[in-house]
Amino acid sequence: MIELWDGASMEYDKILENLLGRDDYLVVGHSVVRTDALEKALGRARFTADYIPKGTAVVKVVRSSQPHARIKVDVKAALGVPGVLAVLTAADVPGHNQIGYALPDQPFLNGEKVHYIGDPIALVCAEKEYAAAEAVDAVEVEYDPLPASFTLDAALQPDAEPIHEGGNVAVTTRIRKGDAERGFSAAEVEVEDTYETPYQEHMYLEPEAAYAVPEGAGKVTVVGTMQSPFLVREKVAHVLGWNLSQVRIIQALTGGAFGGKDDMGPLVCAKAALAAVKLGRPAALVFDRDESVAYTPKRFPARIRYRSGADGEGRITAVEVDITVDCGAYANRAPFWLWRMTAHAAGPYEVENASVDGRAVYTNKVFGGSFRGFGDVAIHFAAESQVDRLAEELGMDPVEFRLRNVLRPGSRTTCDQLLDHSVGMEECLRGAAEAAGWKRGRELGRKGSRVRGVGVGCAYHGISTSRSTPDWSAASLILNQDGSFTYRTGICELGQGSPVGHAKIVAEIIGAPLSSIRIEVPDTDSTPNAKPTHGSRGLMLGGTAAADAALKLRQRMISVAAEMLGCPEADVDLREGRAFNRQDPSEEVSFAELAEELYVRGVSPAAYGFYTSPRRFYDPETGLGVNYSVYTFAASVVEVEVDTETGQVDVVKVWPAMDVGRAIDPLMIEGQIHGAVSQGIGFTLMERLVVEDGLVLNPNFKDYVVPSALDTPEVAETIIVEEPYRHSAFGAKGVGEPAIISIVPAIANAIHNATGLRFNTLPITAERLYAALRRRKP
Amino acid sequence: MRPIPSFSLHRPKTLSEALELLQALEDARPIAGGTDLLVLLRDGAVSAKHLIDLGGVHELQYIREENDEIRIGAATTHAQLLRSELIAEKTPLLHEAAASIGSVQIRNRGTLGGNLCNASPAADTAPPLLALNAEAAVASTGGTRIIPLGDLFAGPKMNSLRPGELLTEIRFPTPPAGSGTSFQKLGRRRGLTLAVINVAVYLCLEGGVCREARIALGAVAATPIRMPAAEEMLEGRQLSGELIEAAASACRDQVRPIDDIRASAEYRREMAYVLTRRALMDAWERARRDTL
Amino acid sequence: MRITFELNGKRVECEARPNKTLLDLLRADLGLTSVKKGCEQGECGACTVLLDGAPVNSCLVLAPQVEGRAVTTLDGLVDDPLMAALRKAFMEDGAIQCGFCIPGMLLSAYALLRENPRPTEEEVKTAIEGNICRCTGYIKIIEAIMDAAERIQNERP
Repeated sequence: MIELWDGASMEYDKILENLLGRDDYLVVGHSVVRTDALEKALGRARFTADYIPKGTAVVKVVRSSQPHARIKVDVKAALGVPGVLAVLTAADVPGHNQIGYALPDQPFLNGEKVHYIGDPIALVCAEKEYAAAEAVDAVEVEYDPLPASFTLDAALQPDAEPIHEGGNVAVTTRIRKGDAERGFSAAEVEVEDTYETPYQEHMYLEPEAAYAVPEGAGKVTVVGTMQSPFLVREKVAHVLGWNLSQVRIIQALTGGAFGGKDDMGPLVCAKAALAAVKLGRPAALVFDRDESVAYTPKRFPARIRYRSGADGEGRITAVEVDITVDCGAYANRAPFWLWRMTAHAAGPYEVENASVDGRAVYTNKVFGGSFRGFGDVAIHFAAESQVDRLAEELGMDPVEFRLRNVLRPGSRTTCDQLLDHSVGMEECLRGAAEAAGWKRGRELGRKGSRVRGVGVGCAYHGISTSRSTPDWSAASLILNQDGSFTYRTGICELGQGSPVGHAKIVAEIIGAPLSSIRIEVPDTDSTPNAKPTHGSRGLMLGGTAAADAALKLRQRMISVAAEMLGCPEADVDLREGRAFNRQDPSEEVSFAELAEELYVRGVSPAAYGFYTSPRRFYDPETGLGVNYSVYTFAASVVEVEVDTETGQVDVVKVWPAMDVGRAIDPLMIEGQIHGAVSQGIGFTLMERLVVEDGLVLNPNFKDYVVPSALDTPEVAETIIVEEPYRHSAFGAKGVGEPAIISIVPAIANAIHNATGLRFNTLPITAERLYAALRRRKP
Repeated sequence: MRPIPSFSLHRPKTLSEALELLQALEDARPIAGGTDLLVLLRDGAVSAKHLIDLGGVHELQYIREENDEIRIGAATTHAQLLRSELIAEKTPLLHEAAASIGSVQIRNRGTLGGNLCNASPAADTAPPLLALNAEAAVASTGGTRIIPLGDLFAGPKMNSLRPGELLTEIRFPTPPAGSGTSFQKLGRRRGLTLAVINVAVYLCLEGGVCREARIALGAVAATPIRMPAAEEMLEGRQLSGELIEAAASACRDQVRPIDDIRASAEYRREMAYVLTRRALMDAWERARRDTL
Repeated sequence: MRITFELNGKRVECEARPNKTLLDLLRADLGLTSVKKGCEQGECGACTVLLDGAPVNSCLVLAPQVEGRAVTTLDGLVDDPLMAALRKAFMEDGAIQCGFCIPGMLLSAYALLRENPRPTEEEVKTAIEGNICRCTGYIKIIEAIMDAAERIQNERP
C-alpha cells in the first residue's frame, strides 16, 4: 500500500492505471539492453581481483587437514619465512571471534577445535604469493583427533561425538495441520519413499575475493564479491570490534553468486579487513578454485522421508514428511533452509492434512549454505516425485492429477496461509503442458537404444524471508542538475540484473530515459541499506523501495513543474526526460531545467525510498501462520532422451512457465530461467561432489562437472504468467530462485516416463541409470 | 592450488639443440603444449629444474604421407591434426579423436606427442593410434629408435622414455581401401570432457571377410591397450552382428579397469562392451561403404 | 627472462620469470584485467586470449612461450568490426549476465567467426565448449553468436 501525499492510498501494482494514468508501460514489460552490458562486453567491468594493485599484501588461509580435532597452533616457523608480514590466529581477533550466521557455533578463526577439513585456523600475510604459500605450510598445527561423523546416521547415533556443544541436532521444525492420520484413512492410494539430495557447488566463475584498505585511524574500506554489503559490514565490524560506521564496504561487480557469496562475502571480507587493519596496509585475499570448491558452503544435502495419500477423485488427502538436513560443520543458514523445506513440504498443492518434522544435523564435512532455490529444490524433488507416483497409482495423467490439487486463489498452504491473490500455478501448469503438446509428448517411444520421455514439475517459492522476520528495503534517487539521475541501492548486481530492473521501475515512474539513470555501485558509506540480495527479493523488495523513492521525487518534480508550466499538477506528465502539460504537450520543461528549479527553490532533489513488507505471523507450536508475503509459481515440462545402453541422459527440450507477478524485463526473466535450467540439469544429472572421510576429492572444474555449451537443451519461449502482487512495484515477484525448482523433478519424472525407473537420489548419473536398468533386466 | 614452482626455461630452435639440452641438463623435462604439464607442476605432482620448450622446434610439427605411411611430428597440435585434410581423408579415426580432446583452447596448445607422453590411460589419441598400428620414433643424442606405440606406455601417467630421450614422431601405415574405423568416447558430459572410457576400432575387409581387426581401449587398464583376443575372433571371419557382440564381450572380459571418481570399474567394464560393439558396427558399416 | 611479443598490435618488451603464466603477466604486470582468472587449470576458459589468432587458455601458457608471437585480448579488438557485431549481439540478445566469462567467450566466438563465418549451431557450441558460463545456460550466448554471424553476412555486399 502506498500512502499518497494527498492522504489517499493505492496498491503498488496499480501505479500505472491509478497514478501514471497511462494505458501502457514505457519500459516495464519491454526487454531492454541492460545498462551494464556494454562495460561487460568491452571487458572493462571490474571485479574484485581487478582492483588489487601490485604491492598489496597477500593473505592466505591456513586450514585444517583434519575433520574433527582439538588443535594447538604454533606460528613461529611461519613467521620466519622471508617475506612474511604476519600470521594471525584467533588470539589476534580484536573483536568477536564468533561469526555463526544463525547460531553461535562458528569461530572466525579456529584456535581450539576444528570441525571439518578446511576449517580456517590462521591467516598468513606476506609480500608475495610464494612466501605466503610457503608460510601456510610452515604453520604448525598439532591435532588431537576426535571421532568424526560423516553421515547423518553416524552423527545421530546416541554416542556420537558432539560436533558442537548441545549435540549434533542443530535445530528442529514442525508443522501440524489438520489430522494426517485421518487424511491417510481417507486415501485410496498411498505412496512412501525416502529421497536424498546431495551437495551442489555453486561454481560461479569468479572465485571469492576481497581487497581491504585501512583508512586513517579506525576505518577500513573493503572491496569484495558479495550479495549483501550491509551484512558484510556487520560481520567485519563484529570481528574488528568496531562500529558499523568505521567499516566501509563496496560491492565490486560480482561474477556469479547463486547464494554462495551471501555466505562467503562476510567471511572473506572480514579476513582481508583483519589483515589490512593489523598490517596497517592494503591486503587482499583471493581464493583459488580448489579452495572455493572444497571449503566453502554448498547446497545443503538433505534426506526426506515422504508419505502421501490421495483419494479416488485424485485429491491429495494427507502428507507426512520427515526432513533431515545435513548442515556439515556449521549450522550457517540451516535453520532458514530447513524451515523453508518444512513450509513448502506439500509442494504447490492444497493439502488439508499435513504433518511435517524437520531437523538439521551437524557432520564433520564442509558446511552447507545458501544456494538458489534454498531448500525448495530438494523438497520439490521429493514432493513432485510423490505426486507423480500418486497419479500413477490412480492411473491418472500426472498433469491432470496436479490440476486437481494445485494452489489457486483462495487456497491455503501447508502452513494454512490463505493465498488470496497472485496465484498463477494453474496457468503455469496448463501453459507449459499445452506448449509441450503434453498428450502427444507422452508417447514418444524408442529408437534403437535411445528412448524418449516427457515429465512435468511444478513449484512454488516464498519470496524473501519467512515467518515473522521483518522485511524491508531502501533506495535513494537523486536528480542531478543536468537532468540525469543517480540511483543507489544495496541490492547487488550478481549477473541477475536486479538493479537494472530497479532503474526500469524508476524510469517508468519518473519518465526518464533509462540511459539517464546511473546505478551506483553499492557502498555502505553512501548507499541505503536494502538488506541482502537473496531470497529472490532483490527486485521485489529493492525495486519497490526504488519505486517509493521515484514516487516521492516524481511528486516534487510534478509540483514544481506545474508552477513552471502554469498548469494544475494533474495535467503534468513526465516522459522522455521532460515535464509537459498534458493539455498542450508543447508546453514543456526539460529535466535539466526542472532540476535547476528544484535546487533554486530548495525543494529536495533527492528521495529516500523505503519499503516494508506486510507483517506476517507464525505460531512456533503448530508451524502455522502467514509465512511468506507472496509466492512465485512455476512449472516445467521436460523431454529427455535416455541411452539405455550407457545410461546417458540428454535433456532435449524444456518448456518453462512462471507466474512472475509482473514481468519487468522478459529478456532478463528468460535469462534467469535459462541459467536455472542449466544448473538444474547439472544438479539432476551430473554434478557430484565426491567427499571421502570429509575430504573433497574433486575440487575443480575437471572432475566437478557442470554443463558445458554442448549440454544445452532447446528451451521453448518462456510462458510468462502475470498475476500481479498487490504489495510490490507494478506487481513484480522474484524469479531467480523459482526458476530452478521445477526443472529438477521434471527431469526425474521424464526419466521415469522414458524408462519406468524412478530415482529417489540425485544426481542421476549415467552410471547410476545404467545400473538401475541392469538391475531391472532379468 | 599453489603457484608454479620455479624452473629454468630453455627454448631450443632445433631438434638437435633440444636433444643436447635434454642430455646435458639434470632433472630436465620437455614441455610442448603444456596443457597437462603446467597443471601437474602447479599441483606438485611433477617437478623439474629445467623445462625445454619445444614450441620453437618447428621441425617437430608436420603431417605428411610417405610411402603409404602417415608421419606426424610429435609437436603437432590437435588443432593442426583437425585441420589436416590428409588426416580427415585418410584417417578419420584420428580426426575424430582429435576433435574430442579438451576444448578449442586445449586443442590449439596440446600436442599429439604431449598427449601420448603424458601417458594418461584415458588419452584420446592413444586408442586410435594403437588401432592404426602406430610406431613411435624416440630420439636422443645417441640416435633414434623406433618402438611400437604400445611400448611407450609404462603405466598410469608414466611413459617409458629414458632420460635424454624425446618422442619425435608417430607413424603408421595409411589405412588401405576396404578399411573402416570408428572412435567412441563416453564422458560425463557432452563438451570438454575426460573419457570415462574410449574405444578405437580398425577393420579391414576383403570380400566381406575381416582380414584385419584392431581394437584398442582407453581408461580400462593401467595404459591404453589393444584387445588381441577379440581381434582374433574377428580376423578371417565373415562379420556378423553376433560375431561382433561376441568380440565386444571378449573385450569386457579382458579389460582391467579401476574405480575412480569418474566411474566404477564395473561400469567401465560394461561400457567396454557397449562402446566396442558400437565401434565395431560403425567401422564395419564404414568399411563396407568403402569397399563399394 | 626478457621477452618481446606483440600485444594487441603493439610491441611489448618485458621481464618475466620462466614460471610466470601468460595470464599473470597480462593481468598483474600489464594491467589487462579483461583476462579473468577462473580456475588456473584450463577448464573454465575465463582466461582465454588469442595467440596468433587462435584461442588458448592463458593460464596454461608460460609467459616466455609467447616470445615473438602475437597476443590479443578483448582490449585489442574494441574497434574491430567483427567484435563490434558480436558485442552488439551479446548485448541485445541478453547473453550477458555476470560478465565474468564474457571476455573469454567473446574471444572464442570471434576466433570461430573469423575462420567459419556461417557456423552451424553445433559448431558454435563446440567453439565455446571450453568456456564455462554458470549464469546464462549458454542459450542466449549461442543465439547471439548465430545472430552476429548472420548480421555480418547480410552486411556484406
